Amino acid sequence: MSETLARPLAQRVLRLPAPSENTTPLPVPEGVIDKAYAALDAGYTHYTDRPGILPLRTQIVTALNRQYRLEFKPDVATITCGATEARFVALKQLVPAGTTVLHAGSGAVLQAAAQLLDIELTTDSSPNVSLVYLTPTDEAAAVTAICAQATAKGWWIVWDVSAGLTGSFHPAQTAELAPQVVTVGSFSGALPGWRVGWMAGSKAANKLRAYKQSMTICTTSVAQWAALGLEEA
Amino acid sequence: MALANSNIPEDVRAVAADGTQLRYKLMELSALYPDAIALGRGDPDLATPAHIIDAAKAAMRDGKMGATPIAGLPELRDAIAAKLRTENGLTVERENVIVTTGGQEGLYLVMQTLLDPGDEVLVPDPRYTSYDEAIASAGGKMVLVPTTHEDAFNLRPEAIEAAITPKTKVILIITPSNPTSGIVTEDRLRAIVDIAIRHNLIVISDEIYEKFLFDGWKHFSIGSLPGMEERTITLNGFSKTYAMTGFRVGYAAAPLNFIRAMTRVKAATTGAAASVSQWAALAAQTGTQAPIHEFHRIYAERRALLMQGLTDLGLNYSDPRGAFFLWTNSSSTGIHATELAYLLLKEGRVLIFPGNAFGENWGGYLRISVLQSTDLLTEALERMRPIIERYRAQE
Repeated sequence: MSETLARPLAQRVLRLPAPSENTTPLPVPEGVIDKAYAALDAGYTHYTDRPGILPLRTQIVTALNRQYRLEFKPDVATITCGATEARFVALKQLVPAGTTVLHAGSGAVLQAAAQLLDIELTTDSSPNVSLVYLTPTDEAAAVTAICAQATAKGWWIVWDVSAGLTGSFHPAQTAELAPQVVTVGSFSGALPGWRVGWMAGSKAANKLRAYKQSMTICTTSVAQWAALGLEEA
Repeated sequence: MALANSNIPEDVRAVAADGTQLRYKLMELSALYPDAIALGRGDPDLATPAHIIDAAKAAMRDGKMGATPIAGLPELRDAIAAKLRTENGLTVERENVIVTTGGQEGLYLVMQTLLDPGDEVLVPDPRYTSYDEAIASAGGKMVLVPTTHEDAFNLRPEAIEAAITPKTKVILIITPSNPTSGIVTEDRLRAIVDIAIRHNLIVISDEIYEKFLFDGWKHFSIGSLPGMEERTITLNGFSKTYAMTGFRVGYAAAPLNFIRAMTRVKAATTGAAASVSQWAALAAQTGTQAPIHEFHRIYAERRALLMQGLTDLGLNYSDPRGAFFLWTNSSSTGIHATELAYLLLKEGRVLIFPGNAFGENWGGYLRISVLQSTDLLTEALERMRPIIERYRAQE
């Protein structure tokens, strides 16, 4: 086959970095395999509901509520193809053209998505900020200050707990801020090849869900059931 | 046919202009009725073949569950390339193939990789409205190319030619078609090649229903024709062929520079397809193909039953040469397809998608799938009859 397409590619792809590949397999906990086998035997090999299977969404919000004293319902959660998809959907849908994304720690996981979307990542609270990316490992004082600014200025917050549910602070604990907070998580730490992540909360939850659907319809059924097994393991 | 005075709830009316949201709204409503017969979504009701399930289990048991390369398992890419060479006549190697998280993601990534703002994509009308979203998300502009019932919704080269402007970059071909079940015949494809080369256009060829053609029609891949290697992106997947929609595995084949760029876009948006799914897809591609023949036989039987049933109801449909659907003209009922679909669901407990879920011009059509058993299809037709006849009598 010809090496080159007859027409130029989109400008946006020319700035994208080569992907980093980590294909090291991890041992899979037995509970996960049991759950996956049971799902396959039960015929769960077709599309799931658009938001993802209810038991997994229930388990996710239960864990969030327990850890952070929140009151999320399962209908605010959507299962995604890893946290990568959740972060991309949030940036794509919540960051208007010409605005920037503020982060308090490392913005490395946003880099490729931001380049694709032509979004500037910054560590300065410039006037153009529309969304803040924060994680529980960011310096607490900085997080507190940024959340106060987000409240005052109406910034979206992506609170990324994909490294684990740690600490007791969550920006959505502040009622005024809660509608602006999208929580992003993942099962990829323990199950890297299964591609299961999630996003939960915010007044944009339905909009984010619809956009995820337009990209991938739903997340792999058996992987969702497998992730449920991880939570139970 | 207008929706203005129709007797449907506001939440349905509110999404009637958005095909995708309308389909999901009707599916949500259908979930409220446990006895509803679903003839809506294009999700095969048949079981995924056992050898594919066994392969997924074996992959888990054998510890093959690490993340795969973003472009997919090398073994799977090789198998797909071999299939495209032998069955579709494409000149492809592993490097020309990327595995996607279902066919829909393939379409999304292709548009992101190809379109700059303002680029125009020629799309046959009616169409699956996910195309609209993928094009709009990349900043592209969809330009509709009309197709007609009388022509079995085949693409007409002259209609394509008439739609071309200096901004046109892509011709989208979907054969067999969702929702019409029409195909683009080989003679038309050859004429489209001439247009594509003359205007230096890219062709995206969505062939996801390629295994399900009927009445002697044969699938033909435009990418196999001379001069098309460097201007064709072929999309396909495992969901429909092997009744494995939940595994989410599709693929694209294209020139090397395009696949490399698409891989970077995939890394930035979703990452690799799930490992377990790719091992299952490898078994699907390299294992016995007997289940496809059995699926085809079953669908053909159902299709014949549904065609006769609709004829008995006084409804005509376009020639269903492929895919899973009967694209049915419902204008004789005198009511808009969205209202009719709502009534069929509410009163008849039959979920059918209205034509305007596949383009705003199609409020006089229904898309009815064959993806239920013959018993349920018979029952669905019986439930539809009094509603159709009541409205036709009023008309």
